[in-house]
Amino acid sequence: MDLLMTEEEVRFRDEVRTFLDTHLDEGLKRAERLNPSFLADPAIGLEWQAKLNDKGWAAPSWPKQYGGTGWSLAERYILDQECERAGEPHFRGASIKMIAPVIMRYGNDEQKNFYLPRILSGEDLWAQGYSEPGSGSDLASLKTRAVLDGDHYIVNGSKIWSTLAHHATRMFALVRTADTGKKQEGITFILIDLKSPGVTIRPIRSICGTHEFNQVFFDDVKVPVSDRIGEEGEGWDIAKYLLEFERGGAFAGGVLRAMLTRLHRLASEPLPDGRTMIDDPLFMARLAEIATDVDANDMLELSAMSKVQAGGNPGSVPSSTMKIERSRIRQSIAELAASILGPNALRFEEHRPLHELPEESEIDEERKVASAVYFNSRSQSIFGGSNEIQLEIIAKTLLR
Amino acid sequence: MDLNYSDEQLLLKESAERFLKDRYDFEKRNKIIASETGFDAGIWSEMADLGWLALPFAEENGGLGGGAVEVSLIMEAIGRALVVEPYLASIILAGGLVEKLGSEDQKAEILGGLFAGTSRPALAHTERQTGFDLGNIAATATRSGESYLISGEKPLVHGGAFADIFLVSAKLDGAVKLFAVPADAAGLTRTEVKLVDGSRASDLVLDNVSLPASALFSAEADTLAEIEAAYDRVNAALASEAVGIMDALMDATVAYTKERVQFGKPLAAFQALQHRMAEMAVKCQEARGSALLATLSVDAPRAMRIRGVSGARAKIGKVSRSVAQEAIQLHGAMGFSEEMPIGAWFRRLYAIENTFGTTADHLKRYGEIIRDPATLSGSLLREPV
Ligand SMILES: Cc1cc2nc3c(=O)[nH]c(=O)nc-3n(C[C@H](O)[C@H](O)[C@H](O)COP(=O)(O)OP(=O)(O)OC[C@H]3O[C@@H](n4cnc5c(N)ncnc54)[C@H](O)[C@@H]3O)c2cc1C
Ligand SMILES: Cc1cc2nc3c(=O)[nH]c(=O)nc-3n(C[C@H](O)[C@H](O)[C@H](O)COP(=O)(O)OP(=O)(O)OC[C@H]3O[C@@H](n4cnc5c(N)ncnc54)[C@H](O)[C@@H]3O)c2cc1C
Repeated sequence: MDLLMTEEEVRFRDEVRTFLDTHLDEGLKRAERLNPSFLADPAIGLEWQAKLNDKGWAAPSWPKQYGGTGWSLAERYILDQECERAGEPHFRGASIKMIAPVIMRYGNDEQKNFYLPRILSGEDLWAQGYSEPGSGSDLASLKTRAVLDGDHYIVNGSKIWSTLAHHATRMFALVRTADTGKKQEGITFILIDLKSPGVTIRPIRSICGTHEFNQVFFDDVKVPVSDRIGEEGEGWDIAKYLLEFERGGAFAGGVLRAMLTRLHRLASEPLPDGRTMIDDPLFMARLAEIATDVDANDMLELSAMSKVQAGGNPGSVPSSTMKIERSRIRQSIAELAASILGPNALRFEEHRPLHELPEESEIDEERKVASAVYFNSRSQSIFGGSNEIQLEIIAKTLLR
Repeated sequence: MDLNYSDEQLLLKESAERFLKDRYDFEKRNKIIASETGFDAGIWSEMADLGWLALPFAEENGGLGGGAVEVSLIMEAIGRALVVEPYLASIILAGGLVEKLGSEDQKAEILGGLFAGTSRPALAHTERQTGFDLGNIAATATRSGESYLISGEKPLVHGGAFADIFLVSAKLDGAVKLFAVPADAAGLTRTEVKLVDGSRASDLVLDNVSLPASALFSAEADTLAEIEAAYDRVNAALASEAVGIMDALMDATVAYTKERVQFGKPLAAFQALQHRMAEMAVKCQEARGSALLATLSVDAPRAMRIRGVSGARAKIGKVSRSVAQEAIQLHGAMGFSEEMPIGAWFRRLYAIENTFGTTADHLKRYGEIIRDPATLSGSLLREPV
């Protein structure tokens, strides 16, 4: 066992660095720095995705046959760490990380050939249609109904909290096709064209002041049967498969380390009275504690991913641990950063996206976005299966 | 990068766990700590037979060529079984320094007995004022003809109660050097100290102890740097010991709450307790990640070594304390009684938090190293040497 790179991996890392130096321009980096949300502003995200796609790196975790990289674990880890260190816009969301693996695993050839290239090219942007007003943690209680009518389903109901649905071209959704048997058994996984008649999207702003999610209403929306993934009633298994990718799947170590490094910079900047937070032992103790959390999580991720690479499964306890810890670490970094703003924490810039505003010094911009980043971080322990639900999963395994 | 245990490593883990489960249960351990010597010679020689004592030494020195990963597996098992014999102090710490600094003669003389289980060296380095500034020692060595005279005080020498030879550090012409001091040397006073976890150490006072020239370990080497590296190796090993204890506390708590019925249900049926146990499991997982990073960092360049090792001691200090406190709480009054191993694990974790640097010391050392943004932002993977 060791943590050493091979000579080839060192060369690969250097290639990644060169690519980032030349392609990740200041405008993209600045927009990401000023983005308080989990995912980048779509215009920015798609611009970056296009550059990655030209290089063949848009979907590092996809197999080669579908246009991915086919990289080893170490290569993907290196890419993640380098991209995050450079400050890339985060845009591998519902499209690349969620629906794509589902289509690869459960889709037919037609669906693969049609949808996967459109994801890479950015022609399609996907929204996730799981949650409903009456169904959050208890997802299987969902009520949005799809009734078969010849070669179409007729969909009625509503999805909520759909991230970026107002920019998305399509939504993958869990719908109810039967009421008999267990509630899990009547669920089907379908793909909905959001331009279809009968779709209405109501914007919802989050507590950080950004319009990032939506409620989506379906009023007799027609969905071709050919846009069903898997069989009728197979939706729950597919949904769970997807959640594995939403919860784990990719690395978070890079972004946590990058956030911590940003906090370190912010704390190294002199305050108006000449002090710097980094010389404050109380602050430094807190920063150091969080940094040990980041290291531990990073190591856990690497261990889990190498189990996956060796053909195994990381297991539910490590997976849920990582989901919980990533959220807590993000939240504690964001909270600590906001805590050192002083009275300027009271000033709040409402304009979105923030990068449209006139440019200021990097440090002033860090200060400008810090409160919103903190507010936004509270969502980390809610989405993708809340932390309490992760504790439920762990407890089930422990007490089995 | 390779993060999978080899088949041999998995075998070692299994055999270590099985051996201690069969030969070192809680009752036996309590007998040992209550005994006259606080040490079981039979177990120690069985460990020698199993190859544990020679495990982390290079084959060219007669060892088995094991590394930090092998040590971590033994230490996890030692943690669960609450072994009080000085594996860490004599084998990893003192033995490791003999291997690094000893001449061929010194290695032959000391390591042979150490592998066979007949000799147990102990390092006597830190003093009352040393804290984490490992160079801050007051003991002195002066030349007197062909020999050296050593004076100083070395409190809380781990493994000292069972040692036949001490590696004593002293300043010779202002530089820290190590000397081999037989336990029965004239001018050496050893006082046994009972420790908070039931094990034993000793306080040493050296008053003009006269040693031959051959007692000096390596006149040329940077002894202090080697001592620091040796402490990092034992701190990584302690991190793994703590992980073994945490898992044991976790298992015991799950088993107990499944059995114990109150209000007509097993305690494990209450969600309030389920979530607390799940939080314990989260901490066990994190600690495992930290300890592995420490283990794989002992040979790294100094900054990364400190990031891995002191980071782990800081993090594991905090989460292991919480897991132990929760284990007591969830056992109710049973957890508060000495009849259960819960309290013994709790006290051993408390001892670990105060051995070879406190949790706060390690956090400080880590904090200093991550002030350099290059260390803070550096990935876990390192360039090949
Ligand atoms: C920023 C953001 C983006 C999102 N994006 C999407 C998206 O794109 N698509 C989508 O489908 N959904 C999305 N969601 C919704 C998300 O999946 C849900 O919020 C989540 O599943 C929790 O459901 P809920 O909000 O209805 O909370 P509820 O289920 O009502 O839970 C409320 C509280 O009770 C706790 N709780 C619930 N059940 C239990 C239990 N059995 N035991 C103990 N505690 C329990 C929860 O942990 C939570 O703290 C998003 C959410 C956020 C915040
Ligand atoms: C120092 C000490 C002195 C004592 N002296 C006396 C004495 O003089 N006389 C005497 O009669 N007793 C005495 N006790 C016993 C004391 O009253 C019990 O320990 C206490 O009532 C808890 O019971 P238990 O230990 O059996 O724990 P349990 O009831 O088995 O509980 C174990 C754990 O489960 C939790 N738990 C239990 N039920 C639930 C639930 N429904 N939901 C969530 N969590 C739950 C508890 O809080 C605890 O953390 C003493 C205890 C101690 C530690």
